[in-house]
Amino acid sequence: MLRLLNIVAVLVLVGSAVYAYSIKYQTSYRAEQIAKTKIEIRQERDAIAVLRAEWAYMTRPERIQQLADAYLPGMKQLEATQIVAAQSLPERSPRVDSIGNKLDALGLSMPATPPVPGSAPTTTPKAQGQSQQRRKP
Amino acid sequence: MTQTMLDTQPSPPPVGKIRAMLRALFSTSLALSASRMRLAALAFLALYAVISIKLVYLAFKPEAATSRRAAAEAVAASRPDIIDRNGEALASDVKVMSVFAEPRRIIDKDEATELLTAVLPGLDARDLRERLGSKKGFVWVKREVTTHQRDEVFHLGLPGVGLIAENKRVYPNGPIGAHVLGFANVDNQGIAGIEKYIDGQGLADLHGAGFGVTPEELKPVSLSLDIRVTHALRDELEKGVTHFKAKAGAAAILDVNTGEVIALASLPDYDPNKPTEALDPVHINRMSVGVYEMGSTFKALTIAMALDSGKVNLNSRLDARGVLSFGRFKIHDYHAQNRALTLPEVFTYSSNVGTARMAMGQGVERHKAFLRKMGQLTRMRTELPESAEPIVPKNWGELNTMTIAFGHGLAVAPLQAMMAVGALMNGGYLITPTFIKRSEEEAKAGAERVVKPETSEAMRYLMRLNAEIGTARKVNVPGYFVGGKTGTAEKVVNGHYSKNRLFNTFMAVAPSDKPKYLFLTIMDEPQGLPETGGYATAAYNAGHVTGEIIERVGPILGLAPRFEPPHQPFPLLAKLGYGYANVPARGGGGH
Repeated sequence: MLRLLNIVAVLVLVGSAVYAYSIKYQTSYRAEQIAKTKIEIRQERDAIAVLRAEWAYMTRPERIQQLADAYLPGMKQLEATQIVAAQSLPERSPRVDSIGNKLDALGLSMPATPPVPGSAPTTTPKAQGQSQQRRKP
Repeated sequence: MTQTMLDTQPSPPPVGKIRAMLRALFSTSLALSASRMRLAALAFLALYAVISIKLVYLAFKPEAATSRRAAAEAVAASRPDIIDRNGEALASDVKVMSVFAEPRRIIDKDEATELLTAVLPGLDARDLRERLGSKKGFVWVKREVTTHQRDEVFHLGLPGVGLIAENKRVYPNGPIGAHVLGFANVDNQGIAGIEKYIDGQGLADLHGAGFGVTPEELKPVSLSLDIRVTHALRDELEKGVTHFKAKAGAAAILDVNTGEVIALASLPDYDPNKPTEALDPVHINRMSVGVYEMGSTFKALTIAMALDSGKVNLNSRLDARGVLSFGRFKIHDYHAQNRALTLPEVFTYSSNVGTARMAMGQGVERHKAFLRKMGQLTRMRTELPESAEPIVPKNWGELNTMTIAFGHGLAVAPLQAMMAVGALMNGGYLITPTFIKRSEEEAKAGAERVVKPETSEAMRYLMRLNAEIGTARKVNVPGYFVGGKTGTAEKVVNGHYSKNRLFNTFMAVAPSDKPKYLFLTIMDEPQGLPETGGYATAAYNAGHVTGEIIERVGPILGLAPRFEPPHQPFPLLAKLGYGYANVPARGGGGH
């Protein structure tokens, strides 16, 4: 009995040693991964800094102005008279369905109109009935 | 007890002695294992003791100084990004490679010198040989090499020569805002402008103490500048300086309620990516480092002083007849009217005689005290390390007060004059200009009231009136309710004021009823042109440029244009009985 216990203890010991080793190995593997990712992050960050600086350089107002002068000959400096307050905008006119009116005038409105929300309930029970029928057999 | 048990065991026969010993060795008898366990425990204890002693030893032992470490100390430290008030990048760090060497590890120094100079042109061979021959552990070979050079150095494969990444400061906008930003040297230390200010805020101490500050730990510094407005301002100023053939020029926009400098340009300027250019004295920041006699823009201060004292009011009449003589000096009026002028007329005709009389009515001491209160007699300190002391007359007599009243005889930094005029506009608070973004509450917390709100409103009315019918009509951009004041100072040449070498200033405020922005343009020796009738006074050049600036930056600054004259722009004046201030002045001012 005691001997069996000893053997079990030895086995457990060996097992735990193997487990500990694998844990240790995994830890160092992960640590390596972290270090690698950190380097990658730093490189990305440096690259972002370079790209930002480049973006700022490419969009500097001086260059934009040169480009605008060269390629937008019709554009002029904004004048104060071109700016109006929101209150001075005209009121929004009531919505007119001009296409619908045209169709009405031509007498084509009935078949051409797509199902309006009011007509929706008439189609749904039909669809439900179909699905129930299909389920029965 | 174990002892007795061991003793009682019978001694085995010699033949079976080894077998008995083996049995005893592997026996699991409790009597034997107790002593063995003690032995084993002792052995383990000793082992652990050795390990812990070694650990403690390792922990205390100083790390050997490696070349990496020396390099890390020498490389350019990272700096926080600088952004404008809208978050646009003004300065940032990028990584570049630098070549270093460890002379002690180089085997053949002559060969190394030869190979390195071949790969890196522009390197002095003798100087490099000397550096490599030194006893130092770490020397720079070349800072900031190109990617191509980096690869070549790498392929040389010289022992003791290495590459390391460094931070390099870049200013993507070039000369725009250069005078505010300043620049950093090759070690990424701030040398001038805001860059130096940032170092003064504790960054240099951190680096000095050996804390490697990583870029992500540094918060970007948000300036008060708006890069787009600054560009527009600089562009208009450049056009003006070229057109009027001026020697130099400068312009700035100040938020009068927060003291923030929204835009600043001083021409000629330099590119902070080439710091050597900045050392040229013609490239100084004329807004804060140059001191000038501000001319008639100073009349605003004199009139504000007189109004604030209560001795005069908007209806007062001042004698502006003829020439004011003092000893052998004579004070003339440029737009001489030769009659008694009302106070608003003194301002709109820019009468030297009238203003001088007004200052004399206050006396020398009160004049001095008022200017000191307005911060015109002491050096103004902003975040920028570069500043200049005003030139104040040593023996300030009556004549000095008379001339300083209209802006001659006292030289101040233009930004300093803006601070004072800003206080006259914003309701009476003297706010030191800043280049760092801040809110109105923060600004008002440190501000001191220097004039009454009524005085401030009267000054705004006078500025507006001057833009409607006076000398500042050039700046009356429709829609922004602008007010302005010209200033033409004659420059001192060989101890005398010269009639044809002028220093022109123009101060404008927009909008006059709810002041927000103060504009200042200065021009050094602009020339009269045929289309200005040969005149070179401030209204024709500095005034013209200011008008162009307001028209262009108004929409960028978010100033809403109004084409209806504002209802009751000056309510305090109306209460005091100057109802006419709220009625737009008729165009028939005749001047």
